[in-house]
Amino acid sequence: MPKDSDLVRCPSFNQSLTLRNATRMISYIIKRLGLAALITVLAVSLLFLIIHLIPGDPVSTMLGPRATPELRAALEARMGLDKPLPIQILMFFSNMLQGDLGTDVFSGRAVTDIVFGQVPYTLVLILVSIFWAATLGIALGCYSAVNRNSLGDRLAGILSVSVIAVPAFVVSLYSLLIFAVYLKWFPAIGAGEPGDWGDQLWHLVLPSLAIGLSWVGYISRLVRASMLEILGEGHVRTARAFGLPESWVTYKYALRLAILPTVTVIGVGMGFLLSAAVFTEIVFSRPGLGKLVIDSITTRNYPVVMGSVLFSTLIFVASTTLADIINAILDPRTRTTK
Amino acid sequence: MATSAKTIKPTKARSELGDILHHLVRDPLGLVGLIIVSIIILSAVFAPWIVPYDPIALNIPDRMQGPSLAHLAGTDQLGRDTFSRVIMGGRVALQVALPTIGGAIFFGLVLGMIAGYGPKWLDNIIVLLFDTVRSFPTVMFALAVVALVGPSLNTVIFVIMVTSIPTYGRVVRTLTQSLRNSEFIDAERSLGASVFRIMTVHILPNVLGPLAVLAAMDIPTVVGLEAGLSFLGMGVKPPTPSWGSLLNDGYNLIRNTPWLIIAGGIPLILTTLGFTFLGEALRDVVDPKLRGRGSK
Amino acid sequence: MAGVILDVRNLSVSYDTPRGPLKALRNISMQVPEKKIVGIVGESGCGKSTLILAIIQLMAPNANVTSGEVLFKDNDLLNHDLKQMQALLGVEISMVFQDPMQTHNPVLTVGRQMIDIQYRDKLSYSEKRQRAADMLALVGIPDAEARLNQYPFEFSGGMRQRIAIAMALMAKPSLLIADEPTTALDATLEVQIIKRLRELRDEIDCSILFISHHLGVIAELCDEVVVMYAGEVVEAGNVRDVFHAPSHPYTKALLECDPGHIKEKTRNLPTIPGEIPDLVELPEGCVFAERCSKIHDACSARPEFQVVTESHAAACHLNNGELVK
Repeated sequence: MPKDSDLVRCPSFNQSLTLRNATRMISYIIKRLGLAALITVLAVSLLFLIIHLIPGDPVSTMLGPRATPELRAALEARMGLDKPLPIQILMFFSNMLQGDLGTDVFSGRAVTDIVFGQVPYTLVLILVSIFWAATLGIALGCYSAVNRNSLGDRLAGILSVSVIAVPAFVVSLYSLLIFAVYLKWFPAIGAGEPGDWGDQLWHLVLPSLAIGLSWVGYISRLVRASMLEILGEGHVRTARAFGLPESWVTYKYALRLAILPTVTVIGVGMGFLLSAAVFTEIVFSRPGLGKLVIDSITTRNYPVVMGSVLFSTLIFVASTTLADIINAILDPRTRTTK
Repeated sequence: MATSAKTIKPTKARSELGDILHHLVRDPLGLVGLIIVSIIILSAVFAPWIVPYDPIALNIPDRMQGPSLAHLAGTDQLGRDTFSRVIMGGRVALQVALPTIGGAIFFGLVLGMIAGYGPKWLDNIIVLLFDTVRSFPTVMFALAVVALVGPSLNTVIFVIMVTSIPTYGRVVRTLTQSLRNSEFIDAERSLGASVFRIMTVHILPNVLGPLAVLAAMDIPTVVGLEAGLSFLGMGVKPPTPSWGSLLNDGYNLIRNTPWLIIAGGIPLILTTLGFTFLGEALRDVVDPKLRGRGSK
Repeated sequence: MAGVILDVRNLSVSYDTPRGPLKALRNISMQVPEKKIVGIVGESGCGKSTLILAIIQLMAPNANVTSGEVLFKDNDLLNHDLKQMQALLGVEISMVFQDPMQTHNPVLTVGRQMIDIQYRDKLSYSEKRQRAADMLALVGIPDAEARLNQYPFEFSGGMRQRIAIAMALMAKPSLLIADEPTTALDATLEVQIIKRLRELRDEIDCSILFISHHLGVIAELCDEVVVMYAGEVVEAGNVRDVFHAPSHPYTKALLECDPGHIKEKTRNLPTIPGEIPDLVELPEGCVFAERCSKIHDACSARPEFQVVTESHAAACHLNNGELVK
């Protein structure tokens, strides 16, 4: 932190100010991306090791009882099973980087294509869920903080706490039961007609609400706690002492700070959201990564399973990295290295 | 979390259990949580003796009935009494949850304390390990392992435990780090206390409180995960009853009867509520002690 | 009243606590005349901060005003609603708070915050920005225009305090309230800021209410002084009179204990024995009695304000060393 002795002027101070801020930002981003890459490498290696540590012959494990001699030979060549382990890992990686995740046991199609085909459905579901959770959660949390200890606040608090941990698939099942099967307000199956946005959105409502609901509780509690803490801090008192309107104090000064932890939380929560999406896709018979994985497991279509798991891991790492970077943009304090 | 030497008791906790219970009874939600949790645990322990019917006995003539006096929650598609399956399912849920969380706590404690107290390079490695394991979406990871090894109770326990270790490990690590720098630890070190002694006698008791809170809040997640995996057919093998498999049956029969889904879901919801309320109340008891009474 | 900008009359404030009401201020009366600098002196816990917060109506939610008036230009601030206070704060009344590290919003630039507080002024954005830069330069921050783009954490404590003072002076307040503005700063900086405040008083004709526990600064800067102890005013008056001829034993003790006053070199700094009383369960009688070296039987009854000289009064049964009947 600059000291008072900095009063002695530094000539290039003026011009370098913006440049300094920019370089700090860039170096942070690079560091963060590097960490993400490292973790991805480790995660993939871990997966790889698991395949090989399972007792038995990896090829049979991967191909299951349907292994024909040709498939076995092809897979053995691809995996380079006769070569030492480190070489195998490297081959695995180089294949992966070239976008080759193997081929489907039955159809021979590239796993990458299959997975890519399903990912958009899952991503859309997750994004809409986050949208619900974030908007409702932040609004509820802000309201609770500003109207602390009111009846609304207490009610919201109890509801949030109780709803938070109910597993998403239970919520999905119940909403399916109540709103789709019995009340018939929403469709029970599928993602809607391709190309028809309205229909697809309609099909999204129930599943995304089911996933988002537990998050509304979590986020609102987080925002509430964060806001309460901030509203008690000195700078809020300063703002009020200068007669700033309450709406500015609440939103521009306090909420802006309070939201910061939410951003990171959402990034980290991607993992849970992905898991929740798996169940929700099954319950609502929607296409997506979840359905893909389950179907592949049942049919012992092993390469697809691995490809999907890998992909979801990548999504997760990407989202945490993105969350950290957004956090750095919003909160200038995190950019400086300690 | 800043701690002050004055508020940490360097000796083993005295009967704080009485203290804790006293607080729990005062807090209405905590009390509700305690009651629910007790019911769940007791019914799980005594399940084989309190089930009205044999949970896996088939009784086709009586299949698909709604709730009645004879069958409190109705029967399923094979005539099995749903209520008995619910109770037995609770036993299975706890059979999964306890070893899972126990194992996760154990390894989390060990790794977390080493990371928090040991040299920086070791800390970095352990943190990297944690982050790597955490980068797998849990269910996906579980599904991958199940795909390889086949579904079974032990697989579920193993997978959930491994993915939970980082959760506990990180908390232990943070606490250990902050405690390591406190004054009384310095004093102990200057007296020549061994690392082992410091960790077990001084750090461990202070870590147990937050860990207990974390465990209480985690049980719903673990139980939910087991139920979810069983729902997908990747968990406990039939005919062993699990709340998840009940829900699966219910899902397949959703247009015929709602009762299976209702029966399978309610215990999950109750477990969640019970342990969450309990955990929140426990946290209120544990936290102020750690920070010093009266702060905030 | 003519010539008095702030008139606090019989103000009592208490906080709701689990043990009962904590009587933080009891029957406080004091005045800030126009264009004068009034200092408030007292140890931690005497109620200085509560008094300030009561004046600007930013007290904690569990605080209650149980009696009294706070007249600012003959209007009772206690009767003002939020809108009326917002019209005054940052326009006629300005504040500088004690802890410069907590004063500013960490994620908004200094420029943004300084422009925001001008929201009532009908100036263009660049005019407001220029004004902010001018104020920063006025308090001695170099490269003011560029530094408006920086965040508070990029400034040192001393600079942040100066920014706070700059903000307080952007309006032309009639009353500037400064709560220990130099406590967190080093001595040279303190001197500069005191000098600045005096100059500003002359330039814009404002009154200043200056809180400090640093007696030397009070003596140097203030025209009048109010001595507080445990929620009451124990002595008040012209600063020269009070400091040269203190009447209340507490004031006397404070002066004796002030390191600046001590003539001979010594290892042991004198202190006032004892602690401030429990403000929930107050003793009857004089609140300072327990720690007073001149305690009498009469002290079991609350003392009234006795005029000591024309320009100063103290709440003690002893007046010039003699018991008052």
